[in-house]
Amino acid sequence: MIPVIFGLTLRQLVRQRRTLLLVLLAVLPVLLALLFRFTAEDVTPARFAANGLFAGFIVNLVLPLTALVVGTAALGQEIEDGTVVYLLGKPLPRWMIVIAKVAAAWLVTAAVVVSCVVASGLIVLTGEEGYGLVLAFVVAVLAGSLTYSALFVGLSIRFGRALIIGLAYVFVWEALVSLFIPGVRFLSVRAYTLGVADAVTDAPARIFEASLAPGPAALLLTVLTVLITAYAIRRLNAYEVSERV
Amino acid sequence: MTGHPAIEVSGVSRWYGNVVAVNDVTFAVQPGVTGLLGPNGAGKSTLLHMMAGFLRPSSGDVRILGESTWGRPELYRRVGIVLEREAVYGGLTGYEFVRVNARLHGLDNPHEATMRAIELVDLGAAKDRRTGTYSKGMKQRIKIAAALVHDPAVLLLDEPFNGADPRQRLHLMDLLRQMAREGRAVMFSSHILEEMERLGDGVLVIVAGRLAASGDFRAIRRLMTDRPHEFLVESTDNRVLAQALLGDLAVSGASLEGDRLTVRTDDFTRFTEQLPRIAQAARVTVTGLSPLDESLESVFEYLVAR
Amino acid sequence: MTTPPNPQATPPAEAATSNIYDLGYRRYEGERLGRRDAVLALYRESLRGAFGLGRSTASKVGPAILIGIALVPALVQLIIAAVIPIEAELIRAEDYYGLITLVLALFCAVVAPDIVGRDQRNRSLTLYFSRAISRTDYALGKLAAMTTAMLAITLAPQVLLFAGNALGTQDFGGFVADEWTQIFPIVFTATIGSALIASIGVVVAAQTPQRAFATVGIIVAFVLPLFIASILVQEIGTEVLRPAVFISPLDLLDGTTVWLFGGTLEDSVADQAGFHPATYLAGCLVITTIAVGLLLRRYAKVQA
Repeated sequence: MIPVIFGLTLRQLVRQRRTLLLVLLAVLPVLLALLFRFTAEDVTPARFAANGLFAGFIVNLVLPLTALVVGTAALGQEIEDGTVVYLLGKPLPRWMIVIAKVAAAWLVTAAVVVSCVVASGLIVLTGEEGYGLVLAFVVAVLAGSLTYSALFVGLSIRFGRALIIGLAYVFVWEALVSLFIPGVRFLSVRAYTLGVADAVTDAPARIFEASLAPGPAALLLTVLTVLITAYAIRRLNAYEVSERV
Repeated sequence: MTGHPAIEVSGVSRWYGNVVAVNDVTFAVQPGVTGLLGPNGAGKSTLLHMMAGFLRPSSGDVRILGESTWGRPELYRRVGIVLEREAVYGGLTGYEFVRVNARLHGLDNPHEATMRAIELVDLGAAKDRRTGTYSKGMKQRIKIAAALVHDPAVLLLDEPFNGADPRQRLHLMDLLRQMAREGRAVMFSSHILEEMERLGDGVLVIVAGRLAASGDFRAIRRLMTDRPHEFLVESTDNRVLAQALLGDLAVSGASLEGDRLTVRTDDFTRFTEQLPRIAQAARVTVTGLSPLDESLESVFEYLVAR
Repeated sequence: MTTPPNPQATPPAEAATSNIYDLGYRRYEGERLGRRDAVLALYRESLRGAFGLGRSTASKVGPAILIGIALVPALVQLIIAAVIPIEAELIRAEDYYGLITLVLALFCAVVAPDIVGRDQRNRSLTLYFSRAISRTDYALGKLAAMTTAMLAITLAPQVLLFAGNALGTQDFGGFVADEWTQIFPIVFTATIGSALIASIGVVVAAQTPQRAFATVGIIVAFVLPLFIASILVQEIGTEVLRPAVFISPLDLLDGTTVWLFGGTLEDSVADQAGFHPATYLAGCLVITTIAVGLLLRRYAKVQA
C-alpha cells in the first residue's frame, strides 16, 4: 500500500509548477560553479566548494527552500484541496500515509539537491584530488533532507499555514537565531547537516563553519526525524475532516 | 448481514466549542435508500462525516455494520463515501483515478473492478481523459465510481445531487435505487425536497442538529395529527358547502377567496369520513378535493417552525 | 411546489394578484466623485489593510511584530540615552539599515501579498476595472500604498533614533543644530529604499493570488541575489564578476545608503565590488523602474 501512495505522491509533486521552479533554483549553484571555474583566480577550489558553494549556498538556501516547498506540498496540498479523503477513507493504517509522504518528499528533495551538489562539486573540483568533499555533502544532504521532509510534512498536518510557518523557521529561526544565539544551535537542522558533513570529510571543519561536532549532529538528526515522524503520525490519526475547509 | 443494522447512530452529539452541530441523534438504518433531509447548516454534513469515520463524535456512538466508525480503517472495505467537495486528482485520467482507489483498497483485480465501476457510472467514453478536464457532473460520477469500485455494503453520499442537471439526477437516482435493490444501504443527504420525495424509501429529518422526524415522509405527516391539514375543495356551491362544513367538529376553519374554498381540519380521519355526508346533506356535489400540504415542503416548514 | 388545481379560476381584478411594491427605493442623485478620488480611496484602503486596520486581529499581528522588531534597536538607544548619560551615538543612522534590512524585506513579504493578493483571490479585479480607475491607476495606487507602508516602517525607527541620539547628548538643541542636515539623507534613503523594496514586492505578489507562494517568492527575490552576489563578489572575487552586485537590490541599497550619509563602506558586498557609489544609486533606480514597468504590464494583461 505504501508504494501506491508513494507513487501517487511522486506523480503529484512532479507535475506541479513549483517543482520546476525548484529545479531552476538548483541550477544556480551549477552556474556559479561554472563561473568559478572560468574566472576564479586565487581562491582554493576546496575552500570555495566547501564554504561558499556547499555550506554557504546549497545547505543554507537551496536545501531548506526545496525541502520546504516539496514537504509542505506532499500532504499539505491534498489536505488543502480536499483530496486527502481518498487516502483517509481506505482500509490502511494512517501511519502508512505519513511514511509514504515523507519518503516521497525525501526522494524529490534529495534528488534535486544531491544532483545540484554533485554537478556543481564536480565542476569546481575537477582535477583536484579527493572528491571527498562532494561525498561528504551528498551524505549530509541526504540526511538533512530526510529530517527536513519529516519536519515539513509534520507541519502541514498540524497547520493549515504550514508553508508560512516553515518559511519563518528557515529564514527567521535558522538564519537569525542560530547565528546570534550560539547556545540554540542544537535546534537547527542546518547545523546538524553541516555537522554530518564534517563527519564524512577530513577537511577541517572551520572551512565551512560546522558548529556542531559530527557525533551529536548525527544523533540529533536521527532523534529528531524519529520524533517528528511519530508526532506526525499521531496528528494524522487524530485528524478530522471538516466539511468546509 | 450479521444482524446489525447497516448504520446505527446512538445518542450522538458533536460540538465545536460552544456551537452544537449535532444534538443527541439516535437512529438505525437498514438496507435500502435513506435520505437525510435538512436545511443548510442543520448538521447533515457533520452527521455524514461522523458516519464516514472522518469526524469523531463528541459523545455517543456511530456504528456501521456493528463496528465503531472512528479510527477503524478496516471498516472502509465495506463503506463507500462520496463527499461534497469537488476535488479529484486532476492529473490522473478517470481510469487511473478509479484504479488507484481500487489499489488502495487492496483489491485483487483492480483493473476489472475499475472497468466495472466506470461502466456503472457510464463514463466509459471519457475514462482516458484527465479528470481535470471533466465537467462538474462527470467529476461527480467519477467520484461515485471510485466509491463503488470495492463493492461496498454501505454507501454514503453528501449532497450528491448538488448542481446536477436533470438528466444526471435521473441517472444517479436510478443508480442509487439499483444499489439499494442489490442489498446495500444507501444514505444520501440533501436539502432539495423533490429529490427526497422521489427517491427516499425512508427519510431522516435533521433540523438545527436534532433529529426531528424519521420514517416514510407521508407516514410522518400522518403522525403529526396535532397540526391542521388543509384541503382545497371544489364543488358546485362553495359557499353553502363552507357553511355546512363549519358545523362539523372536524372542521377548524374554512375560507373563501373568490372561487377557492380551503378547509382546515384537525382531525384528518373524521373529515374524510364526514365530507361526503355533509356535502350530500347540503345538496352540493364535490367535484375536487386535494391536500394542500401533503408535500415534503410543508412537512419541512412545519418542523423548521417548531 | 404545489399549485392548487383550479382550472376554472380566472384572476379577478389585477389588484388582487400582481403588485409592485414601493419600498422607498431611491436613485442616487448626489455627487459622483471622479477618478482622482477613486484612486485615493483605493490607496487609502490598501494602506489601512496593510496594517490590518479594519480587519481581524490576526491580520494585525504580522505587521505589528515586524514593526516592533524594526524599532527595537532605536528603542534600545532611547532607553539607554534616557538612563545613562553618554555622549556618543551608539547606533548611527546609516548603520541602522544594515541591521534591519532583512526585517524590511520580511515586512514587504508579509504585507505585499495582502495588498495585492486579496483582490485577485476574491476576484474583485473585475469590479475595480469596471469603475472610473484604469488598470494603470490601480497598479500605481497599490504600489503607492505599499511604498507608504514601507516608508512608515523605514522612517519611524529613524525618527526615533534621531530623537534618541539627540536626547543622549544632553544637549538637544545643539544636537539638532549640528545634525539637522542628516534629515536629508535619512528621508532620501528611506524614500529610495521604500520604493525599491515595495516595487519588487508588489510585482512578485501580483503574479499569484496565493499568499504563501507570494511570500516565498518575495523572500527569495531578495535573499537569493544576496547569496549570489556575496558568493560571486566576495567568495570568488574576480574582477569580471564584480558587476554581480547589481543583481542584488539590498546590496545596492546598502551601498547607496552609506554613500548618502557620507560614510565609508565596510566589508560589505557593495564595498568589495568597488564601483562608485553613485552607480549603486542608479542601480536602485533602474531596478525600481523595471519592477514598476513589469507591474504595469502585469495588470494590463491580467484577466479580470
